[in-house]
Amino acid sequence: MSEAAWLPGSVFDNIDKFASSLGYQNAAIAMELSMVSWKSPEERDAFIMAITGEDVKGGTEKNYIKNFGG
Amino acid sequence: MPKGGYRPTAPQNNTGVSSTGGAGSKDGQPNRYISGGKYGEGKALMEQQQGASMAQQAPTADVLTGRGERVLPPLETLTDNIGGKYSDITDGASVGSPIGPEALPKNISANTRPDENKVIITRYLPDLVQAASYKNAPDSFKRFVNYLAGQ
Repeated sequence: MSEAAWLPGSVFDNIDKFASSLGYQNAAIAMELSMVSWKSPEERDAFIMAITGEDVKGGTEKNYIKNFGG
Repeated sequence: MPKGGYRPTAPQNNTGVSSTGGAGSKDGQPNRYISGGKYGEGKALMEQQQGASMAQQAPTADVLTGRGERVLPPLETLTDNIGGKYSDITDGASVGSPIGPEALPKNISANTRPDENKVIITRYLPDLVQAASYKNAPDSFKRFVNYLAGQ
């Protein structure tokens, strides 16, 4: 049986980025925003940066590579 | 002798039509005696008209500016100080103005996030715990799941 892998852009990846960026105390809002059908992780991250004014938090370098404008 | 016919030089009195039907002025409609009623009815109607002045014609746009343009007050923006009621844009916020969140209605200032978070935890925590065990699941996600589990 193969082990499930973490996928960038998945709903769990969205939860990670929103919860880490908005703060754990905003978990409910982070969950709702995570269930939005984002076109791409880049669009999602652009939204997070727009509302927080900061870089996206969460994830690790090995599974989260920024690709803005590239 | 022929009568009628084409007379282009004849006086034409078809200009200056009154908007009140020729029976009004800037002071409103004049009182008119209405005949043909029963005995005394005409007098009663006349007294009724004298008792209350008739409505005057509302000024039109032409009257306001003389150029057919309607004059409107200047638009106000969100940051305008409307009547001095909202003197500071940070009124009600925890920063800036001395008027803090205590001035807000209770249903606005109440922090409902803990209640919402409990609903989320109850509904989604099992799935989140499973996702935290995925290969390459980031540590930040695992910390978030631990935070929810500890609530």
